[in-house]
Parts: sequence; C-alpha cells; structure tokens
Amino acid sequence: MYGARSMSLCTKLVRVNELGWKQQASPTVHTSSLSSAAFTHRRCSVSSVMSTNGSVPSLPPQISRRLERFKTTIFTEMSILAVKHQAINLGQGFPNFDGPDFIKEAAIEAIKQGNNQYARGFGIPQLNAAIAERFYKDTGLLVDPEREVTVTSGCTEAIAASMIGLVNPGDEVILFAPFYDSYLATLSMVDATIKTVTLRPPDFAVPEKELREAFSSKTRAIMVNTPHNPTGKVFSLQELQLIASLCKQHDSLAFTDEVYHRLTFGAEHISLASLDGMYERTVTLNSLGKTFSLTGWKIGWAVAPPNLTWGVRQAHAFLTFATATPFQWAAVSALKAPDSFYKDLIADYSSKKDILVEGLKEVGFKVFEPKGTYFVMADHTPFGFASDVEFCKFLIEEVGVAAIPPSVFYTDPDDGKHLVRFAFCKDEDTLRQAVDRMKVKLKGKVVARTH
Amino acid sequence: MDATCNRLPRASASFLARRVSSFRASSIALWSRLAQNGYAINLAHGFPDFPAPEHIKQAAISAILEDYNQYRHVQAACDEVAKHFSETQGVQIDPTNITLCCGQSEAFAASIMAVVDVGDEVLLLDPCYETYEACIALAGGCPVYVRMKPPYWTIDMNMLEASISSRSKAIVVNSPHNPTGKVFSMQELTDIAELCVKYDLLAITDEVYEHITYGNAKHISLASLPGMVDRTVITSSLSKTFSVTGWRLGWAIAPPEIAPAVSNIHVKISDSAPAPFQEAAVIALRSSNDYFVSLRKEYEERRDFVLHMLRAVGFEAYFKPEGSMFVFVELPVSSTKDDVEYATELIEKAGVAIVPGHGFFHNNKRESENFNRFCIDGMGKDTHEYTRRYVRIAFCKSKSTLFSAARAWQSYPL
Repeated sequence: MYGARSMSLCTKLVRVNELGWKQQASPTVHTSSLSSAAFTHRRCSVSSVMSTNGSVPSLPPQISRRLERFKTTIFTEMSILAVKHQAINLGQGFPNFDGPDFIKEAAIEAIKQGNNQYARGFGIPQLNAAIAERFYKDTGLLVDPEREVTVTSGCTEAIAASMIGLVNPGDEVILFAPFYDSYLATLSMVDATIKTVTLRPPDFAVPEKELREAFSSKTRAIMVNTPHNPTGKVFSLQELQLIASLCKQHDSLAFTDEVYHRLTFGAEHISLASLDGMYERTVTLNSLGKTFSLTGWKIGWAVAPPNLTWGVRQAHAFLTFATATPFQWAAVSALKAPDSFYKDLIADYSSKKDILVEGLKEVGFKVFEPKGTYFVMADHTPFGFASDVEFCKFLIEEVGVAAIPPSVFYTDPDDGKHLVRFAFCKDEDTLRQAVDRMKVKLKGKVVARTH
Repeated sequence: MDATCNRLPRASASFLARRVSSFRASSIALWSRLAQNGYAINLAHGFPDFPAPEHIKQAAISAILEDYNQYRHVQAACDEVAKHFSETQGVQIDPTNITLCCGQSEAFAASIMAVVDVGDEVLLLDPCYETYEACIALAGGCPVYVRMKPPYWTIDMNMLEASISSRSKAIVVNSPHNPTGKVFSMQELTDIAELCVKYDLLAITDEVYEHITYGNAKHISLASLPGMVDRTVITSSLSKTFSVTGWRLGWAIAPPEIAPAVSNIHVKISDSAPAPFQEAAVIALRSSNDYFVSLRKEYEERRDFVLHMLRAVGFEAYFKPEGSMFVFVELPVSSTKDDVEYATELIEKAGVAIVPGHGFFHNNKRESENFNRFCIDGMGKDTHEYTRRYVRIAFCKSKSTLFSAARAWQSYPL
C-alpha cells in the first residue's frame, strides 16, 4: 500500500532539485508525510485558479505549480464589463472589421481543393518560402525556408515554443515593461527568472543604465516587442544597437515580437536580427493576424538560424504539432500582397489613429502619440482617479467606453496606474462615437474620487 | 556560464533548453516524408487521402465568408461537444469546462501542463503514441511505461498496480488505441478506474478515434465509469472523425477544478483555436447518426482489405484491430529482418511506406523488468526481440491507394 501523498499547499512536497530532465533518474525521496494510509483525497473545495488581486491563488491540489502566478486576464474582465454596460470596446486588441476578400477566398479555395489534412509540422513548403521571401524584402536577410522558418498557431505559439525550446529553468530573461501579458505567463511556465526594464512616458525611451544593469552572465535572452504593445513605441536604431551590443557582450539570445511591423506611422520598423552579429542569436516572431485583420486564423511564424529553429521546432511539435492547413495556403496569398496593400493599410490606420488621438487630446487626456501598432497610451490623471483600474471602470460604467488599465503589464503596477490603453483597430464610425461619448461625459470634468 | 565577455559563442547544441534537447524527430513524420520524397504510397501517416465531408467544408467556408475571422471563443462549439459526449457516453458535462484547442495535440499538451509538476509520474500503457512522452517531459514529469502483452495487447493489472508509486499523478488512456487498434474493454476500464480511485490518480484520455470502431466493439470513455468523471480529462478532436486533420480543432473536457487551468495554459500556448473551424465544429458535431455509421463501415472495409492483403504477403496478423485506422502486425517468423530493415526495403523495392514499430515501444530506465520474448526459428536461433518486429500500417486511405499499395506489396518478396 502506498503512502499518503500530501496534496494540500500547506504541506506541500519539498520541491525536488532540478533533475536535469534526465528521465528515470531514481526519484528523490520526498520529505512529505508518508503514512501507510491510503492516498489523501485529492480534491479540495472548488477554488478558482484565477485570482485577480495578484496574490497566490489557492490551487486545487491537482493543478501544477506552474500556474501559481497566473491571473485572470484583464481583457476578459473588461470585456464582460463592457458588454454589461454596452460600452464601445476600445480595449480588445483586435479589429471589428474583417480581412481582405482575396485572402478569405484563398482559404475557401484551399478548403474546397481538399487541403484539409495535416500540414508538414513546421509549415507547408510554400508558406515557408513566402515567409522567407517577405523576410528578405523587409530585412535584407536571406534565410533558408526549410531550416530557418517555422510556422506556428499564431505568434502566441511561436513565443511559447521559443521559450519552451530555448529557455531553461533559472535562466534570466529581460522584458521591457509594460509588456504584453502572455510573456510573463509563458516565462513563468518555463521557470525563468524575469528581469524587467521599465519604459516611461513621454517617449518610453529605453533607459540605458537600467538596461545595462539588467544584463548579467545569467541572461539567456531579452524579449523585444517592436512596434510595442501597449505604448505604440517603435524602437529606434540607436536603441536596437544598444540592445545588440549588450546581447553580444553577454552572449544572449533575443526574441523579437514584430507582429505590428507593418503598422508604423512615420517611423521605420527595424528588425533586430538585421543588425550586425544579431541574426545568429535572434528568433524573429511574427504573424498574419494583425497585418491582415485575420486574428482568429492563428497563423504565425518564427525565423531563426538552424540551431535556434531546432529548439523552437522541438517544442512546437509537442504543443500543437501542425498549423491549420487551409489558412497556411491563404497566408501564401496574403504574403504576396503588393506594396499598395501596405500603403493603404497605413493610410487607413493613420486616419483611425488621428481620429482617436485628436479626440483624446480634446477630451483632456495627455496623449503619448504612437509611432506604431494600433494602440495608444494616455495619461488619465487629469480626471482625478487614483488608479487605472478605477478610471477604466468609470469609463465603462459612466462614459460607455472600454479601455484597458495597463498596470497589469508592469511588474510594479504603480508604474502603470496613471495610464490607460486604447485600441484604434476599429472602424471610423465606432472611433468617432467613442470620442463623442468621452467629449460629452468626460471633457472638462475633474471627477473626485468617490471612496 | 562564465562572466567573461570574450568567451566563444555557444555551440549549437547548448542553445537548446534541456527539456527538449533529448527529443527525437517524429519517426512517423520521417517515414511519411520519405514516402513523399520518393513518391511512395503513404501508409505511414494517419491522415486520410480522401476528402472531408462536404457539409463540414461548407460550414467552414460560410464562417469565413460571414467574417468569423477574429479571435473568438465559440461557446456553441463547446455546447455541441458537451451534447455529443452526453449522447455517446451518457455523461453530463458542463460546457464551461470545455477548452477548444489547436487539435487534440494541444489539448493534451495543455492538460498535461496543467496537472503535471516536476517529478510527477505519469503512467502510460505501452506501446504508445510517440508524443505523450514528450509532453510529459516538457512538464518535467516522468513517464512510467507499463507494457501491454502481445499478441493481443492484454493489460496485466497487477503489473499496472505495481507501477504506481507515491509520485504517480496520472495515467494516460488512449482508446481506441494507436498503434495497436485495441479498444479497451469495459472490464479493463473498470479495473483502471478502480486503481485511479484507490490511488487517487487523475486520468487523461486520448479519444481521437472514438468514432472509428468495428464490429461489436464500442468506444467507452473512461470518464463514464464510476468515480471517474471528476478525475478524468478527456481529449479528442474533429480530425479523425471528420477527416480534417489539418484544421487543428480539438478539445479538452476537464473536471471543474482543472478546467480553468487547462484553459489558462491553452491561452498562453495559442490563445485560441482557429475561429472559422470552431464554427464548423458546431455543424460537424451535429452530423446525423448516418454519418458515423457510414464512417465506421468505410473504415471497416478498409481494415478488412488491408488484413487480407497482409495475410497474402505472409503476415500472421493475430490481432484484428477493433478500432482506429491502424494495423499493428508482427513481421512473419520467416522474415529475419527487423522492422526498420523491412520498412526500408518496402519503400525501396515496393514503393510503399509504413512505420517501423519500435518507436512505439518504450523502456523504463528505472526498472530492469521488461516483457521480452524471443522468437526462435526452426533452426533454434534467436531472432530479434519483438519490439523490433512490429510495423504499423495506416489504412485511412482511399480504396485506390490501398489497391495500389496491395499490388505493389505483393510484388515484393518477403
């Protein structure tokens, strides 16, 4: 009869030292209570894994510890509130309009033609080739589609695969705060130690001293998202050169999330991989969704030298195994879009940006005009709220507009509490309506805190 | 790592995270690619070469045209999964405990990552599908294999119980089974369920072949057994049932305490399953009973044809698959080759690709006990241990493909 395996968190098993992933090493004997009684009944009362106050939630015993730091996403909460109050949703980071017909038709054709079975795990050859071709046009770098391109279920999976495939427990990874929330979650899943460097208004410029201090001999990688969500910053050449020199100095990798690379306004998007000495240590991540307004198709990719690609592919093979075949075929068509498509895209998003940014300024926000992405950050303190969450709740409930409180994107929430993130990936009518609501209910009002 | 700035760049191999550095490439994919490269007939990979049903393709096309192309969680698809499971297994499921994933592959990975901690042991019945081990390793767990005994792949429940330790967290049950085609019987599932309850284990099931069963064999989900619905995570998908392996639409059904965790991990891995295919899943899962009856009939004909062909080329084929789209057979006694040699010659000489079976067999490094059986031929000479004597043939192919394969195979002397 086997001993009891104590399952509650308060009598947790002593965490064994890293077994080094050598399977079947003789298991370390725990120091938990090993009675001869039958196994403890494992289930505890239902407690949500999702706690919003940032404290360690009490996890049901079957749940792995890697979820200890997970919180419910702020997006879900705000969306629910927005629906409840029928607020105009400028919180969600995806378009309320659809992708181009020619790409949808390509997907339909693929389905009709019977391209509905497993694609090759790392991508259909035609898509790998199209990605390599596009990468060459965009960066000047020549890559082997068969050995240096991996297709994944969205950029989210490319990020997860890169981290799982290339980051060891205890490795240090540098993030720029504010950061897209899944970076933190994925890094905590691989047990990395996270070092953050905070970008601050008005320019969200990279603080050189802080960055230098963040690097150490333990730095495995730095994550760079450019153009940057949520600030709308586009990393400059000088900033990327600084990052590059530190990567080389410390022999670190770089993971770059470039999903918004075609959405820049008067700023040039530069791929870190194109800098001297960087291609060999960079995984460049991208996707179809943002550029082509097809975020639900889940087509993403990673471009990296063969040794890094190998790690990404190893993980990818066991995360999702293969990517949706008909949409890969459609992506081939998408990536062949002519330059005029991208010009129109920028023109379109520029006018959307102008409607929102000018509108927000008029209402009384201090706006940090974005150079890229379809997000804009603004300072809401003129309206008298102590925190971004309070402001956003008010904005939904009293003004009828939903936005995202960005404090959740910082390691120290205080760094973000005076800010709010709006998205302008919406049709122009929607944006105008949202601005109008804010002009009516918010402009010129300094609202005292009610508690 | 030293702190000097001028050390040499890392060697390629050391870039990999330790958790993936021991992974091997999929042997199934490898043999499939060999088939494609050499234009061999592909009986290696488990995907159909006949078309997906029209009504389901149409559903996906409509979804694309109606602009269901942004991130979406389609609750209706979860509702249909719950309804379908209730109709086929008699178990009521709350749809909010269902996570739609990019294929059963992702559902399984997310389920494992949600419950397996570093050092946790996960029991696997061997031979087994090659990716389970890797998912468990990604989560830092230890796979513990319990060999089913050839030729009928029977489970020694004493051996299974003896393999449970204080570190055991879960057991993986794949039924109908890849590669053997076994459908776990009510008795076997009952015994497994009893062990789960006795030792407080979770079960994670892979039921992707749930609708491909033959004769009187009926797919029973482990979750439908007493005491099991609260400790089982069920994974399945549209892929095999609806011949859309490339759509990546699968799901995990989990108990209420575990479901949010599975969903959380899934969201971090891939955010959502492809939106138009979530919509198509609603239609697919509403297919009439006729569809499933005809699916089974079509596959049964193919199974019978392949068994007949194998016998004609000298295989004994003791075990007739009761489910799935695979036949797992031992090489004839008369053949002195091992599985790889046989499969290699088959591609080279006959132009037919199958999968050598040894990749499905695993050893536990911490135990020396292994069920080994040596074949002694008429000359009293030992031939290869049986794990190198099995090959897997996929018959989820059009009849014309199977006919061509049979013709080519017959021309190849054993």
